[in-house]
Amino acid sequence: MDLPLDAPLPIDPELGASTTAPTALAPQSVGRPNAKYARIVPITVVTISAFFFLLPLLTLARHSLQNVPAFLLGKDTIFTKWSLEPMWRAFDDPKFMPSLKLSLMLAVGTVFLTLALLVPTAVWTHLRLPKMRTFIEFITVLPYMIPAIALVAGIVIVKPHARWFLNSDFALIPFYVVLALPFTYRSIDAGLRAIDLRTLVDASRSLGAGWGTTLRKVLIPNLRTAIISASFLTAAVVIGEYTIASTLLKKTLPAFQREYTQREPQAGYALNLLALLVTTLLFVLLSVLTKKRDQSRKPYVPPAAEPTLPHTPTGTLT
Amino acid sequence: MTTLDFISVRKTFGTTVALEGLDLDVQQGELITLLGPSGCGKTTALRIAAGFEFADSGAVLVAGSDITRTPAHKRNMGMVFQSYSLFPNLTVAQNVEFGLRTRKLPSEQRHRRVHEMMELVQLTSMANRYAHQLSGGQQQRVALARALAIQPQVLLLDEPLSALDAKVRTTLRDEIRRIQTEVGITTLFVTHDQEEALAISDRICVMSQGRVEQLGSPTEVYRRPSTAFVARFVGSMNEFAGHVGDGAEVSVLGRRIAVPSAAAHTTGTPVSLLVRPEDLALEADGFPGSVASITFQGATTLVGVRLDVSDTIVSVGVGRGKADDLSLGDRVHVDVHGVNAVTEPV
Repeated sequence: MDLPLDAPLPIDPELGASTTAPTALAPQSVGRPNAKYARIVPITVVTISAFFFLLPLLTLARHSLQNVPAFLLGKDTIFTKWSLEPMWRAFDDPKFMPSLKLSLMLAVGTVFLTLALLVPTAVWTHLRLPKMRTFIEFITVLPYMIPAIALVAGIVIVKPHARWFLNSDFALIPFYVVLALPFTYRSIDAGLRAIDLRTLVDASRSLGAGWGTTLRKVLIPNLRTAIISASFLTAAVVIGEYTIASTLLKKTLPAFQREYTQREPQAGYALNLLALLVTTLLFVLLSVLTKKRDQSRKPYVPPAAEPTLPHTPTGTLT
Repeated sequence: MTTLDFISVRKTFGTTVALEGLDLDVQQGELITLLGPSGCGKTTALRIAAGFEFADSGAVLVAGSDITRTPAHKRNMGMVFQSYSLFPNLTVAQNVEFGLRTRKLPSEQRHRRVHEMMELVQLTSMANRYAHQLSGGQQQRVALARALAIQPQVLLLDEPLSALDAKVRTTLRDEIRRIQTEVGITTLFVTHDQEEALAISDRICVMSQGRVEQLGSPTEVYRRPSTAFVARFVGSMNEFAGHVGDGAEVSVLGRRIAVPSAAAHTTGTPVSLLVRPEDLALEADGFPGSVASITFQGATTLVGVRLDVSDTIVSVGVGRGKADDLSLGDRVHVDVHGVNAVTEPV
């Protein structure tokens, strides 16, 4: 039965109704009655949290960047004598650059050692020892549970027997690798869970690639976001670590910051504020970079009329 | 001449026996399908051929050379996986080129080969796209091109069609067969889809619980299943309870049916008689019953008939046009043709 598109629908004689699909119900309000109040809770939590984090930073900023005696800091002086000069003053200190350089070198070294150890370990665990994953996860959170000072106590005991090693500035790197484990392992682990690891590895190996090539050309490029995250987190841990560096008498940036703050309180606090801002900016940058990468991988939407292959019947029933 | 041989290959995972002495020879240019339900050992056999798993005992030979302990990257096998396995960081062309780079072929040779492969799978225009910009079918065609680019001795296909929708699956299945025939490559194909296996294979190896149940051409496997398992797994079957009579006959529901396979059993043995729907016919003579269902399947129609004598429903395959006049509840007679029936002692 051919009907023009605008023709009325036929009536079913038995049902006495048009033989059409049931019409959709009129749209109804699906929002819960207290939906608008439900938003208040998260907004309140975020506001309180922001206040909790920002207030100390604001007071730190006032203390370090306002040339007003501390006992006069109040409502009346909130816009008075602000200056960035204390922030830059630390740069002129002769000990600043060497300590910054050392911290950056340690950060780079720690990132490399962490990735060199962790990426193959995590890949191997996922592929060959999946049952060990829980145990390894537990091991990696130990630095959370065992405070750095406990590690320091261990170092003090070992120190007389390992001066040849501990005298080097780079002796800090293995300790920093351990301290960063809770962050780095999780980041790499999440990256590995997001890809079809076994298939990619099998595909690569079936094409003649050994483990090294598979790691370099297949896995690392596909774990880029996870590796970037792990690297940033590791660098943040290294640049902020004070306890172990101080115990081993290393002149890292945090050690300098402490010593400098004792000498020049206002400029010291300004330097601390600057370090916080730089770290925050780095994390914002990380977030933007990873987000952009994810957005560039939208799934393919096939065109309406996708060209089909010529059909070649190959029935082999003989 | 490239052949692939499994010689008494055994593989266990803990206490589970995945392969129990697999013997199989894939001839030059032949496409053999390993067909079976989940856990029958078909994928394990393929992974052992690929070098991703090693056999506990037995041997795997390619063109007569023992590769049983050769690592995967040193075997010359092309493999297409069930899940999309294209490297997401590389373009289509770079994916196809990957295996050629690992073989350190000169640039000019690589580009020529990539172009040939892209033409073979008809995806030349998509060379610069990434995997996420392709449909599932296109991704599997690129995976096939990538596997063939390295000119492997054997092509291994691990359920390459199972993630695709029905229409694309049929098209790509034919495409794989066309390419395999064109290239003349020895191929081992794994699937649990009987229709796919029947359509694409030179021979089918039906497996169950790590063992080969039957190895034969699609026609043999379908028309002359050697075991009740094969009969039930490949295609659909009607089952009748009966017992073996004299002279290759089976007595079912008071009727005597000539069944050549019954000759293997002694007279009086209680058996299940397995008969395909197309070996049942709606005729004037036979078991009386009434039409309980009519399922249109395109070229054929499956008519479900509730038999009066046993109150069971049997499926009867009816050719085009023959079921047009049937309605639910119609009285019919079902005749059993036992030539291809399988008997299984109860």
